[in-house]
Amino acid sequence: MDVRRRTFLKTAALVAAGTALPGCKPEVHKLVPYLLPDDEIVPGLALWYASTCDECAAGCGVLVRTMEGRAKKIEGNPEHPVNEGKLCARGQAAVQGLYHPDRLQGPLRRDRRTGDVLPVSWNDVVTELATQLRGAHGRVVMISRPVSGAASLLLQRFMEIVGGRLYWYDPAAEVPLRTAVQWLFGMNEVPQYDLAEADYLLSFGTPFLEQWLSPVTYGVAYGRMRQARPTVRGRFVHVEPRFSLTAANADQWIPIRPGTEGLLALGLGHVLLAETPGRPANAHGTPYRRLFESISLTTIAQHTEVQEDLIVRLARELAAATHPLVMGGGSVSCHTNSTRALVAINSLNGLLGNIGKRGGVRFFERETADSPRAASWLTERTMEELLAQFRSAKASVLLVNGCNPVFGMPPAVPIVETFGAASFVASFGQFFDETSSHADLICADHHWLEAWGDGVPHIGLPVRTISLRQPVVRSLYGTRQTEDVLLDVARMLRPEHIPWDSFHNLLQTQWGTRIDSMPDGSEEVWMRRLQSGGSWSSSARTLSPTDTSAIVAPDLPSFVGDERQFPFLLYPYPSMTVGYGGAHLPWLQELPDTLTTAMWGTWVEINPATAARLGVKQGDIVRLESQAGTLEAPALLYPGLRPEMLAMPIGQGHTAGTRYERGRGVNPLRLVTGAFDRDSGALAAGATRVRLERTERKGRLVLLQQPAVDPEQLIRIDSRAIPS
Amino acid sequence: MAWANIKSRPVSAAIVLGLTALFAVSIGIMYSMGSADLAGQDRQPIAFSHARHAGDLRIDCLYCHRAASVSTAAGIPSMRTCIGCHQNVARDSPEIRALAASWETQQPVEWVRLHRLPDFVYFTHERHLESGLSCVTCHGHVENMSLTPRAASFEMGWCVSCHVAQGVSRDCWTCHK
Repeated sequence: MDVRRRTFLKTAALVAAGTALPGCKPEVHKLVPYLLPDDEIVPGLALWYASTCDECAAGCGVLVRTMEGRAKKIEGNPEHPVNEGKLCARGQAAVQGLYHPDRLQGPLRRDRRTGDVLPVSWNDVVTELATQLRGAHGRVVMISRPVSGAASLLLQRFMEIVGGRLYWYDPAAEVPLRTAVQWLFGMNEVPQYDLAEADYLLSFGTPFLEQWLSPVTYGVAYGRMRQARPTVRGRFVHVEPRFSLTAANADQWIPIRPGTEGLLALGLGHVLLAETPGRPANAHGTPYRRLFESISLTTIAQHTEVQEDLIVRLARELAAATHPLVMGGGSVSCHTNSTRALVAINSLNGLLGNIGKRGGVRFFERETADSPRAASWLTERTMEELLAQFRSAKASVLLVNGCNPVFGMPPAVPIVETFGAASFVASFGQFFDETSSHADLICADHHWLEAWGDGVPHIGLPVRTISLRQPVVRSLYGTRQTEDVLLDVARMLRPEHIPWDSFHNLLQTQWGTRIDSMPDGSEEVWMRRLQSGGSWSSSARTLSPTDTSAIVAPDLPSFVGDERQFPFLLYPYPSMTVGYGGAHLPWLQELPDTLTTAMWGTWVEINPATAARLGVKQGDIVRLESQAGTLEAPALLYPGLRPEMLAMPIGQGHTAGTRYERGRGVNPLRLVTGAFDRDSGALAAGATRVRLERTERKGRLVLLQQPAVDPEQLIRIDSRAIPS
Repeated sequence: MAWANIKSRPVSAAIVLGLTALFAVSIGIMYSMGSADLAGQDRQPIAFSHARHAGDLRIDCLYCHRAASVSTAAGIPSMRTCIGCHQNVARDSPEIRALAASWETQQPVEWVRLHRLPDFVYFTHERHLESGLSCVTCHGHVENMSLTPRAASFEMGWCVSCHVAQGVSRDCWTCHK
């Protein structure tokens, strides 16, 4: 190119001007002083407050770092017995929920005729709720996320006043496990599985390193089991059809046929009884024999596709261990035979004689503030009864507190119909979601960093624990804590039943009774408890399970859909990152799934052998079809999955909600048919057969790393297991 | 299109000339509107004079910037600290009337920030005061400066030269954590 002087000068001037332009006006930063100096706040110095995480029901103790009155970072509370200073990704991400741009900033009312959603004042909210509840006395249903402590006391008092039924709803509640424990041990609690002291752990499907019940507690205990003792490294065998993160940590992974985990437990018990004549060393001899010897080992090997010699070896390892421990849940809890399978699995603990022992299954008395359960768990089967009640006008007002059942339950369950049949629906929560989009009144709740509360950990702990939650920042918007709104409504209906002027007052009164029984004063102790995040000084009383012989052998699982028409088994599993309620947080969206490294969407996991046979390549959009519905998602070749299964993470595919979740990915529950666990009524999410069709399109699969699928990485595939 | 070809294409040359003219005019407008007036940006909403307070009246730096000895930030005084004296002192000056007005309306004065380290620099006032440095070492003789007490660039070379002279840590991690 011929560059002349003038050309050069022009170009140089242009470049110089281009560089100078952005510097024309440097950003002006303002320093805005406080009007009044705050005694506690020193600019630049962090203040830490103890509180209790509320992102899931586990209730980990946290310390929140605040600067100039803003919450900045959440860490685990090192002294708290639930999590011992550790915290999971969802707890860490909670601070992003506080500052979320799409948080509800005040109460809203929907006009049923026009569908318009308009802001309304809190006074109008309380008046309207009181009017509606007065008119519907005795016909009120409340679906709430499980709470304990003072909030539980308040909800129960509230339901007594308005006359209605209270249901706990949590898609991760493990209702089949609770039912099995009730049958087997006569306990209305989730026991403590003492991993830390066990030297042999056999886990049936429990994703305890991912999201099961109280994952941080189990994570800490797992570390102890493996590394805390100088001479013993606990051995860990995991049984699950899919290679989950927990399976990846095990010494051995057994890819069992889905739904037959209970049968494997029978086989193990069978061998244990046959090879050790002294067993069991308790009164259960006859029922155990009846249970474990009901099916032959050959039949079990056939159904489970776990070879006979492996069953014998596992049983011998269990028998040889000093502190063997058997746990079940997760993938076992999503079939039609879940409760019975979990009874068989937990019975192995009885057979091994580790009930109530160190390194075994223990029950502890929980702090009494959690009053006796006046509520029952809402299962998918209960929804059918609820719909009938609303249709026959035995119920008319529906209150939903802090949960999203319209997203968590498949469309095959009549949840939307129930909302439609209710004469009035009010929802309480921080975000607009699938559930509140069916509500007449949407009450904007505080984020838990702005709220008061307390709670009892929902798994058994050897220390008598009750955690406190305090507002670490002043509320950012015009939201109100749900408990305070309910108190106002209750006061309007029955002032004589409500001696407290706020929920904070109720909480302090409750703690006052606890503190007064202590030797050293009240106000000072209360401040100390707030400062430390709760109370966990004394050890919890051990409860001995009642003897029960209500043992029923597990049957084979049933699946919905004809095998020739729908050759694959769908396995929807809760995503370890976004789960049922974390898709609104970009920090969780961008957190790669540990094993597939996928994020920001939904994918269909296919065994590479199956994919090769069907001609499906990584990232191809595939269409899945079941009797209940159809959906499309990109395929992800994943060797850690049985070839007759297709696995999908649950957590995306929100139809309503914040900017980060709406319209992203698909919800695999759309495919799930209304099959339930026969005994507990919980959804059998893994009981659906599907068909897979290729499309000619490519999907957007967001992966952190492209996995190289090497034939040696494949699980051993029995050709008979591949459906044709 | 090569620049050399412009001569043979009068239309293109006209476009280039037009654009250049437009550019020159817009730069001119920006200057005339004061966006290039860098000193003007430092003008505080109330003409507070460090020379008067720290110089003539000999008020200690830490009386107002009290966080400096305990925190990373030195902090600026709350409005009440100002009003504490000025409800009695110099009430008739126009600047103090402006201050009183903002106190009455409970609208804090929005001061213009003169020093701002980038986010990747970790600096703490507390540590520097603790090691015996006086405020003047870095901030210069504020007691002689009236309106914009900017004494140094507060850039890395400036920091390092002092760290070298004092024989203290020059590890990257000291400041870039």
